[in-house]
Amino acid sequence: MTSARAPALWLLILPALGLALFFLHPLATVLWRSVTDAQGSFTVGNYLRLFDDPGLPRAALRSLAIGIATTACCVPLGLALAMALHRSRLPGKACIRAALLLPMLAPSLVLGLGLVCLLGRNGLIHRLTGATTDIYGFWGLLIANTLYGLPQVVIIVSAALARTPARHYDAAASMGATPWRQFLDVTLPRLRFALLAAAFLVFTETLTDFGSAVVVGGSYRVLAMEIYSEVVGQLDFGMGATLGVVLLAPALLSVWLARIARRRQDSGDAMPGRMLLPAKHAWRDTALGALSLAALLPMVAMVATVAYVSVVKLWPYDRTLTLANYTSGMPDGYGPVATSLGMSFLAACAGSVLVFALAAGLRRAPRGVARPMQFLASLPAAVPGMVLGLGYVLAFDHGVLSGWFYGGLAIVSFCSLYHYHAQAFLAMQTGMRQVPDALDDAVAVSGGGTGHVLRDAVLPFVAPAAISTFFYLFMRSMVTLSGVIFLVTPDLGLASVTVMRLDENGFLAQAAAYAMCVVLAAALALGAMRLILHVLKERRHVA
Amino acid sequence: MHLRIDDIAKSWDGHTVLDAVSFSARENEFVCLLGPSGCGKTTLLRIVAGLTAPDAGRIALAGRDITTLPARERRMGLVFQAYSLFPDMTAAANVGYPMRLRRESPAKIAARCSELLERVGLGGLGSRFPDELSGGQQQRVALARALATEPAMLLLDEPLSALDPAIRGQLRSEIRLLQRALGIPTIMVTHDQEEALAMADTIVCMNHGRIEQIGTPRDLYERPRSRFVAEFVGRANLLPTAFVRDTMPGFLERRPPGGEATYEFCLRPEDVLVQSDAHGEAVVEDFVFLGNLARVTVSWRGRRLLAELRGSSTLARGDAVSVDAMRGAWVCA
Repeated sequence: MTSARAPALWLLILPALGLALFFLHPLATVLWRSVTDAQGSFTVGNYLRLFDDPGLPRAALRSLAIGIATTACCVPLGLALAMALHRSRLPGKACIRAALLLPMLAPSLVLGLGLVCLLGRNGLIHRLTGATTDIYGFWGLLIANTLYGLPQVVIIVSAALARTPARHYDAAASMGATPWRQFLDVTLPRLRFALLAAAFLVFTETLTDFGSAVVVGGSYRVLAMEIYSEVVGQLDFGMGATLGVVLLAPALLSVWLARIARRRQDSGDAMPGRMLLPAKHAWRDTALGALSLAALLPMVAMVATVAYVSVVKLWPYDRTLTLANYTSGMPDGYGPVATSLGMSFLAACAGSVLVFALAAGLRRAPRGVARPMQFLASLPAAVPGMVLGLGYVLAFDHGVLSGWFYGGLAIVSFCSLYHYHAQAFLAMQTGMRQVPDALDDAVAVSGGGTGHVLRDAVLPFVAPAAISTFFYLFMRSMVTLSGVIFLVTPDLGLASVTVMRLDENGFLAQAAAYAMCVVLAAALALGAMRLILHVLKERRHVA
Repeated sequence: MHLRIDDIAKSWDGHTVLDAVSFSARENEFVCLLGPSGCGKTTLLRIVAGLTAPDAGRIALAGRDITTLPARERRMGLVFQAYSLFPDMTAAANVGYPMRLRRESPAKIAARCSELLERVGLGGLGSRFPDELSGGQQQRVALARALATEPAMLLLDEPLSALDPAIRGQLRSEIRLLQRALGIPTIMVTHDQEEALAMADTIVCMNHGRIEQIGTPRDLYERPRSRFVAEFVGRANLLPTAFVRDTMPGFLERRPPGGEATYEFCLRPEDVLVQSDAHGEAVVEDFVFLGNLARVTVSWRGRRLLAELRGSSTLARGDAVSVDAMRGAWVCA
């Protein structure tokens, strides 16, 4: 018997195939390579070799140390920023929001690049004041990673803050609680799980980040750098795969813990009620304002420095202003930027279609199908970009598919798409949940089928989520580095990779120029998304 | 019989929602499925609409078995509780939607849309979007849409329960008038006994996936068959046989034969006569003034009785009163 609430399982076919081929398959290849030798027979030798080289355990400990230190700095700062946005009367909240966008528009290595140009051995501070500055190593990584993780903490904590209705504060105040007690008794308990989720996220991202590590790490080599040099420097894919699995383990663990935390999170009140208007409190606002400045000024300074460096003649020796870096000075011309744009566009198009089909197909799917698919679709969040990229090299460089994919734009797009699959899928699914069940039924009794349900009931509600997903994938693909670092070939340069290569070779001004192109493209995309969503909101009638 | 439902059963995850339910509806009849939430009434309506498949049983419409017919081929007009209008379509486009799916000519659709909108009192509002209409107007659009394809039946799933009380009452009588004018057989699901009493030709009173009683509103109110129906439809004093024997032995005559605890006596509050009487055995425990009537709780021989008095009354708490009953019905305990 057919009915409107019957799941449209055929929608799942293509997304499931995509996940199997472009996510599970490369991941399995990495696992397989880590336990086989060159002849293809089983061995644990790769794992034993981890301890031969004293550099590797040291790199692992350093990664862990950076991860923990970054989390410890990032979460309190993020909490302070979220409080400044939602629980203070600070003026200029729009500036805070704008500054927080910067790390999302720039590849993580742009922050690192800015840091080096500002505080490196030959940085602007040294040039201007003569002071000895050397930011490479632990402290540089800590600063770059903390700033990079900050916006995500603010987003997660802000969402939880917005769910706490004013009446809880009214109740606390009426019983005589001071603002500080209200923070301890009302605000903090409701942020527990959000803070936990944010901490896991920052920890994982820092542990697996490559962009900052390659620019400001210097001789303080972390795991991501070791993988890079095993694969790119020594072409030791077996060792690279083994290190990848080592990196995968803590990432998987922390994503799993975050899932548990999220499941226990209370979803807030059914009726949000009156919005909170924070009371006047000079001390609180002063403290939050100072913390916000302390966190955001460096962020702005770094991106501004990169912008400045991109228009000087010969950094850092000849700081005459010039546009030459954008016109004649680019070693590869605008080719890499164009390739990045094309790759990002492809990833965004394919990604939004696939993720839409997946979320739509799962709407009414029976548990036996929904549970595993849901898990699979969210799993990419736990897989570091480098590990996935390495999997692509191993899986598509040889074998039947290599002729089709490897070295092509499509393969790079898919790598980027599946790297960010989980976040895109969750956003789309959240949109799907807003479609009222009654609309499905209304289509069915009116004589419509699944196609009509998708067009007339689902799409009007999901359109904003679909547009956001498209631009999210586009922006992420523009700035991604770790996932695609192994996939670029001489014929297929990407802007973010070009920034890294130029930086490695000391062409900081040219690197900065490419970096600014990426930032600009991402910023334009963000602007376009805001504009489209705004127009959509004006024109459409969906609440 | 227009619609026949035979032994319909449905369970979800081992939990029985409908247990061999049967009833039928005549041409032009307005049937209310009445019961508390979770009694299975909405599931039954969805099965009739073809949106849910029954585990067992048969449904026949005008003599034709439609048990396995998909929803889109059943020609049922369905109105939901809320949120069933396409937010991106105007009122007219919403009404025309089922006709567009059936590929009727634009001219015919436009004519029918304005006719239907006129009928539900929304003439001239066809170009408004749902978010520009009030809740009551949205339900009128939904009603017009349900009628668009000249359905074999009209199915209403708590169509009034999301509305303000004032609009609810108004739309209630309009739906009833429209249904009579069109002569379309209608099933409405509701948990509001007052709504069912006011609108239905026949009430099917359900509880725990079973039918407790089928009858006219008057039947259910005056001659409830079970304690559940007596308490769910209207207010009731339910008195054990021994109490009736002591206080109102006259009613024992009509008691069906059966053990002492098999039957109880259902006494409606308006059938309890309370009179100020200095020598009365009963005492007023509570007195609630409601304008046109007063609700009085009296304590009489160790039991509490609820009575409703018409017009003005000067009773007050603590007054001694005498109690008498006019009529009542025996129900299964």
